[in-house]
Amino acid sequence: MSTLPRFSTIFLAAITTLVAALLYSPLFVPIVSSFFPLSQGNVDWSSPTLSTYVSLAQNHDILAALRTTLIVGLCTVVLSVVSGTLLALYYHGRRAGRSFLQFIIFLPFLMPPIISGLALLIFFREIGLERSLLTVVIGHTVFVLAIVYRTVLTRLQSMSRTLVEASYDLGATGWQTFWRIILPNLSSAMVGGAILAFALSFDETMITILVTGTQSTLPVRLWAMMRLGFSPDINALVALILMFTVLLCVLAARFLIPRQMAAERS
Amino acid sequence: MSQNTDLLTLRSVSKSYGKVPVLHGIDLSIRDGEFLTVLGPSGSGKTTVLRLIGGLEPLSSGEIRLDGHDISRMPINRRPFNTVFQDYALFPHMTVSGNVGYGLSVRHIKRKEIASRVAKALDLVQLGRFADRFPAQLSGGQRQRVALARALICQPRLILLDEPLAALDLELRRQMQEFLKSIQREIKTTFLFVTHDQEEAIGMADRICVMQAGHIRQLGTPHELYYRPNCEFVARFFGENNLVAGKLGTVQGEQRSIETALGRLVCSVSDQPHLKAAPDGAGAFAAFRPEALRLADTRDSDNHFGGTIADLAFAGSSTVATITAGPDSAAQRLRLRMPSRIDGSALKSGEPVSLSFAPHEGHLVLA
Repeated sequence: MSTLPRFSTIFLAAITTLVAALLYSPLFVPIVSSFFPLSQGNVDWSSPTLSTYVSLAQNHDILAALRTTLIVGLCTVVLSVVSGTLLALYYHGRRAGRSFLQFIIFLPFLMPPIISGLALLIFFREIGLERSLLTVVIGHTVFVLAIVYRTVLTRLQSMSRTLVEASYDLGATGWQTFWRIILPNLSSAMVGGAILAFALSFDETMITILVTGTQSTLPVRLWAMMRLGFSPDINALVALILMFTVLLCVLAARFLIPRQMAAERS
Repeated sequence: MSQNTDLLTLRSVSKSYGKVPVLHGIDLSIRDGEFLTVLGPSGSGKTTVLRLIGGLEPLSSGEIRLDGHDISRMPINRRPFNTVFQDYALFPHMTVSGNVGYGLSVRHIKRKEIASRVAKALDLVQLGRFADRFPAQLSGGQRQRVALARALICQPRLILLDEPLAALDLELRRQMQEFLKSIQREIKTTFLFVTHDQEEAIGMADRICVMQAGHIRQLGTPHELYYRPNCEFVARFFGENNLVAGKLGTVQGEQRSIETALGRLVCSVSDQPHLKAAPDGAGAFAAFRPEALRLADTRDSDNHFGGTIADLAFAGSSTVATITAGPDSAAQRLRLRMPSRIDGSALKSGEPVSLSFAPHEGHLVLA
């Protein structure tokens, strides 16, 4: 960067600042305003308070939605990590049909969620499956499978083939090699993939609205609340979800990035 | 250590990847307790030989016998061999002692026994202090020694080493060569060592098997290969041999003459019946080492010819002269190696010199 003329450096810095401000300032507004009470439709900036958080904690609808979200998220994580890892293991080193499988796995992730959601809805109706939390979990799993599959496959591909050969060479069986060599080397990729899958499931709205039964998840609940009008609870809820999502992303990065850099160095 | 009995025998072993053949019917016997080096340029099939013996790849045809029993179809994890891989293949999530003990723990040996055998193996490779480190915290030479300890703790009948020194720098490589050799003497286990480095092979091996293009070209002691190569490839591959093409002449006792661009040369054919038996006029090379070529004053000896010094290269303890000899139409470039002297060489570039080599220091290879 030092080779650029001074003027361009300032210009680029200004653009970067502007983009960052445009991206992040809308996020800060609800966070900041969640600490102030509303009076007659306007934010009262004079008296900071935690009352919005208190009323959020007393809102049983929200708490129920949060519990639903966590249940769906955990089930989705378990299902997608197990099936994503198995798919990655099965297709690692196999040429035939791999790009087709990749396409199939990535399609629901890349398609507009409303299309995925509608397709699932029609499918569930055709096979006679009642809309419930089960259908939500299935929908989320189909959606996030690509992330887990990709994360695990990348780690598998960066793993030296001779590790497996060395294990057999030292007398291990296929089962021992899987549990003691392959799985431990995939574990951090699986944890990273699980966190990303959970974050995606936590935020997912469109598919959820279409395939859920009577219970709503947190984002769906939030959406419903917003249609009824602007309430200070929403600011608090958005602030909490934001914090939680950022935390998950930082965690996922911790599990995924250092290993990849180490692999590149060697 | 009874070096006379065969431990492992390969009988017309072939291997192809798809339609590409990499080994063409190899026959090879590995003696119990020896340090056998398989030497060849890349693509010669040397690593494939090792992978077939280790069971990492199936044979295309032929058979491998251990103590006379066919093990060609024995699965890799049941073969009593262990491999030291080129990239060491240490398990990154296990400590040094975890890595070394792996071969025992997968056989469900008791923890106490594993611990004591791991300690013993780590002492042998002088890594006792590093037992609790992870592979990423070790240097290249230390990882190498962990890989060796991990292989020999299982008390294999044969240790397979796949260019284990290739990733180390020169000084460390020399140390590791001596180290490997001393370990091999200590534990009296057969080593099969694959390398493309002829110096490494000469320095370590009891016997060397030279491979090229999926064939074994010669099998013998380093001394035999160095002084009695049996073909042009081995003669050129080992050191900087001088090779002069010609046609075979008459046999006189243990010597045979060859007509070359440098005139008639006489070389030893002792213990090489196929050279004695070759017909007169057959194409061959006279081969002699740079250190066998001498500056000669007298004209009475055999193998005498003139040349011009093209270049002089000081290489520390020795000086190598590149010499052009023979008629202009068939000029030969020869190398002459002589001890360096502190007051410099008496020779100068462009000077005419008179050269010779003793018949017993020259030999013949068929073209």
